[in-house]
Amino acid sequence: MAIAPQDGRLVELEGVRKSFGPHVVLDSIDLSIRRGEAVVVAGPSGSGKSTLLRCINGLEAIDAGDIRFEGQSIPKAGKGIYRLRAEMGMVFQSFNLFPHKTVLDNVTLGPIEVKGLSRLDARARARALLERVGIPEKADAVPADLSGGQQQRVAIARALAMEPKLMLFDEPTSALDPEMIREVLDVMRDLARDGMTMIVVTHEMGFAREVCDRLLFIDSGAIVEDAPPEEFFRGAKSERAREFVDKIIHH
Amino acid sequence: MSALLDVLRRHFPEFLSGFFVTFRVVAISLAIAISVGTLVGALRVAPLRALRWIGTTYVEAFRNVPLLVLIFISFLGLRRAGVGIGPWVAGTASLGLYTAAYVAEAIRSGVFAVGKGQIDASLSLGLTYRRTMTKIILPQAARTVIPPLGNLLIAMIKNSAIIGASILALPDLLKQARILQARTFQTNETFFWAAAGYLVLTLSATFVVRRLERRLAIRR
Repeated sequence: MAIAPQDGRLVELEGVRKSFGPHVVLDSIDLSIRRGEAVVVAGPSGSGKSTLLRCINGLEAIDAGDIRFEGQSIPKAGKGIYRLRAEMGMVFQSFNLFPHKTVLDNVTLGPIEVKGLSRLDARARARALLERVGIPEKADAVPADLSGGQQQRVAIARALAMEPKLMLFDEPTSALDPEMIREVLDVMRDLARDGMTMIVVTHEMGFAREVCDRLLFIDSGAIVEDAPPEEFFRGAKSERAREFVDKIIHH
Repeated sequence: MSALLDVLRRHFPEFLSGFFVTFRVVAISLAIAISVGTLVGALRVAPLRALRWIGTTYVEAFRNVPLLVLIFISFLGLRRAGVGIGPWVAGTASLGLYTAAYVAEAIRSGVFAVGKGQIDASLSLGLTYRRTMTKIILPQAARTVIPPLGNLLIAMIKNSAIIGASILALPDLLKQARILQARTFQTNETFFWAAAGYLVLTLSATFVVRRLERRLAIRR
């Protein structure tokens, strides 16, 4: 059992580098995130935001540096990586629900297969979570029967069913119609208020302003801003971030 | 018209026995094709290069040699080499292994058709790579693959006639029709009923595959 650092840091990145071929996606990233923090990651597309999340839960292996979760380095492969992933939830832009399973089976799969929960317990937990994300009546539907917003809320419930210590959101509302964005953001805001540690890659600056503790701005694989949202919007230090704020506010 | 029905009525036992021989050939070959094809298909998408190479070699070998040549090799060639196998084994093995190459390719494409996001989602829940394959990828791939497998089954039913027409001389539907034709000289009538027999098999196969498809279909 790893001992959690006393200062409450849940995730730490140190000199993390990642490239795809000649293209450097993350360039010596240093970052630490405390328990209970809600962090929004913003930046132009292709700046490495998604890759950052994928490296944290080991879907991509890093080239150099270290990523620690509760003080424990993320292993490159083997059993350790599976165990760590089970402690982090991830929500994807394209939902990625399992189309051949019902909503309830999507949500119970992880707890049954990974945590060894009994079917009965897993179902009870899944129903409670579907209640929490506001769609208890869709338990027996298949993903194809749901709207995008409903699918994403199921995806959130699926991740929460593993009782994660950290939630990673990779542009969770980018594939949604405007009227469905709200319902997903509401669920996420409630989560943050309940104290869930989360890292959210998003372009929803309203959400960032209202919900997050810190806003990271990434450009060309480097963190160029790391500030509370009010400070970021009032006056970002870097030219690139000011341009970004400008564009978002005037559109 | 009456001549046509007359041939069927008079020689019904021969036609029927031919029909069941063809049915057995198809059933055995199908079992071989599906089991070997699934195995080879799995090799084709294996994470290890050596395994993929074995799969690829199999597919290229069996897909690019004419079925009739496979029959000659398995029946005459092996016999000359001291491995005497009977016409049933030679016929069903040739047809089954030949079709397996196509089955493997269908399965491979089915696995690739499952989006990468599915793998991401499954791994992110903490499932191992193996569980991700068996719980998430293969069940979806199997469903995508049903329509192309249906096509292969129909092709295989028709290809089975090669066995009856070849040196194996299994008394299948086509072989029975040829015997009857030689005996009665009612050429058009006998081959008409042979064709009808094959049609019964292929249409039933189509029907079964469609039902399977509808039952297991994934709506996206």
